[in-house]
Amino acid sequence: MPETETVFDEIFRLLTPEKLLRDPRATGEGVSIALIDSGVERSVLENKFGDTIHPIEGAVFRADQPTPSPYTGHQSSPHGTTVADIVLTIAPRVKIYSADVFGPTGTCEVETVIKALQYASDVWKCKVVNLSLGVPESKLQQLPKRHQFLKAIEEGYYKDVLIFAAAHNEHPIMRSYPAAFSTPLISVDKGLFEDPTQFAYKLRDTVEFQAHGRGYLGPFAREPATSWATPHLAAIAARLLSLRPEMKPFEIKTLLYWMFEARKMDPKGK
Amino acid sequence: MPETILIVDDEETVRRTFRDWLTGSGLNVEVQAVADAESALVFANSHSVDLAVLDWNLGTGSDGLRLLEDLVEFHPDLVAILVTGFAHQATPLEALRMGVRDYLDKNQDLNRESFIAAVRKQLERIAPAKRQRQFQRGLLQFRQSVEKILPLVQSTAALNDPLPLPDAVRNLFRFLIRSTGAVDGVLLARHVSPEGAERFMAFRPDGQPLTQLAVPFNRSLAATVLSMNEVCVMSAADLGTLGPVELQPVEKNRQHILAAPIPVAPGTHVVLELFDKPGGFTPDDRKLVAASAEFSSELLRQAMAERQNRRLLIDAVEAALHASEQATASLPSSQEPEADEPLPATVMDRLRAGLKESANPVVDSETSLQLAEEIRELAIRHGPAAVRHCIGLVKSVRGLLDETTGT
Repeated sequence: MPETETVFDEIFRLLTPEKLLRDPRATGEGVSIALIDSGVERSVLENKFGDTIHPIEGAVFRADQPTPSPYTGHQSSPHGTTVADIVLTIAPRVKIYSADVFGPTGTCEVETVIKALQYASDVWKCKVVNLSLGVPESKLQQLPKRHQFLKAIEEGYYKDVLIFAAAHNEHPIMRSYPAAFSTPLISVDKGLFEDPTQFAYKLRDTVEFQAHGRGYLGPFAREPATSWATPHLAAIAARLLSLRPEMKPFEIKTLLYWMFEARKMDPKGK
Repeated sequence: MPETILIVDDEETVRRTFRDWLTGSGLNVEVQAVADAESALVFANSHSVDLAVLDWNLGTGSDGLRLLEDLVEFHPDLVAILVTGFAHQATPLEALRMGVRDYLDKNQDLNRESFIAAVRKQLERIAPAKRQRQFQRGLLQFRQSVEKILPLVQSTAALNDPLPLPDAVRNLFRFLIRSTGAVDGVLLARHVSPEGAERFMAFRPDGQPLTQLAVPFNRSLAATVLSMNEVCVMSAADLGTLGPVELQPVEKNRQHILAAPIPVAPGTHVVLELFDKPGGFTPDDRKLVAASAEFSSELLRQAMAERQNRRLLIDAVEAALHASEQATASLPSSQEPEADEPLPATVMDRLRAGLKESANPVVDSETSLQLAEEIRELAIRHGPAAVRHCIGLVKSVRGLLDETTGT
């Protein structure tokens, strides 16, 4: 028996991923993203984007300091600036908050990331968090520490904060946190796409999505990396959020999944 | 160590009598008896003297008080008993100032008992004061030695601080250059001390440090590589978009760069960079370097552990120096620490803290300290032979366990 068309089929035919992303309002306007990374060199991005971007704000988090230090507009490492550049390239009207957690240790300390996560949701009121730096599993051998981290991720989820985390940042076969907590956040692997706003749903043990793995600024930006894939997807989510800011994390996740499926069905996005 | 008593009397019978009384008294003393001031001074010039028993009238115009004045030049802490036939004529104040602590009157109460009692009384005062002087002299020598050696130890450690580059890493570096076909390379190291001071330096493949790095860590290629946590490859085309990165002079005008992060310890990171393989680096090069980076990381960690041990030694020496200063300052003149007294708490605390920070925790810090303290006490009570015996026992136990476990 042939299926009868419903009004929703008609709506879905009109609604395509490309229409959503090309909507003039889908610029990231009204959306704040926290980049928990190695800091952002503000002048580099201001030189590149000029007045078209919102002023970049932020704070510097250190394991040995209970409260964050003021952001001075500088990076602890160029990594964070390349990440910010990707976000602004895809969603130029996003408001960026730089949470510099790189610090003297040169790696992500769990306690520092947790502090930055809480600050991003409670103080900056960010709806999207990008975590391109991963905490290797070796640093989370203690179960209470791992639970503490998971709890912070869960809390973010219940505060309607969508967290994007680079998958397997440390090593291709090593689990990396928080991407391993794939349920309350979106873990992102690297892939290569003709259009940087394209992405794929690739459910594996701890990975859900693949996004474009090349950046645009810095000598290593062309090197495919999960660090560059994650801000691509975070920026796409920001664009969707500027269309409907009240969306919950699970709704955005569902929308991303639907966009991938819809593109599979209609690659040209007519 | 026995005290030395010098008897000076021009009458041979008196000298012999005093010597006999002393040697038969059971006192732990060495006795030297001479007839005149000249002989006394000759002896004092080459021997230590703790107590002098002097005849008031030595004949030939010389008197005991004048001799004492000369003897004090050799031994400022010398005390004396003056033997005289007319004690009531002595000048007590002047004599006391010069070190005379007692008088014996030949004409009244001088007999074996009174003589030995007078000597014993002085020895009871001399012995603790002498030991204290020896202790303070030893302490002073120790402090002087430590003060001399500490800068040497510290500067030696500083040569390897903050990051030692062991031979193994240098060899591995050269091996990677040959294996990949790179024409050159550099090893960049960044160290942040617990106080927050950052040092950023570079080494050539032969291990020689590059004199200067033009770009600070936070804008460097090395910082990006560390953030990415994986081996990265860059070609000349990529150098067109430096963005937030600046290149070190050694990185400029390169056609290809392969860079690998080598995490060593919190606050210490190394990045290995290889340059300009003709035709570019391949995926196999990347795999080789990734595997080698893990190996290098382990080698550098071991080198850091050795450095930690050196740091422990410096801590211990510094603690000992500090403790000796405190001991010198707080010692009252009549107080002497017992030889087998435990080490001061400050020394133990610093040793314990140093041991806890050690990167080689085979034995916990408490056990290490307990063992060290046992050996120290063994040495104090029974001498070096007992320690050697103890070492032999440890070796025997190790041999027995090796045999039993088949290791």
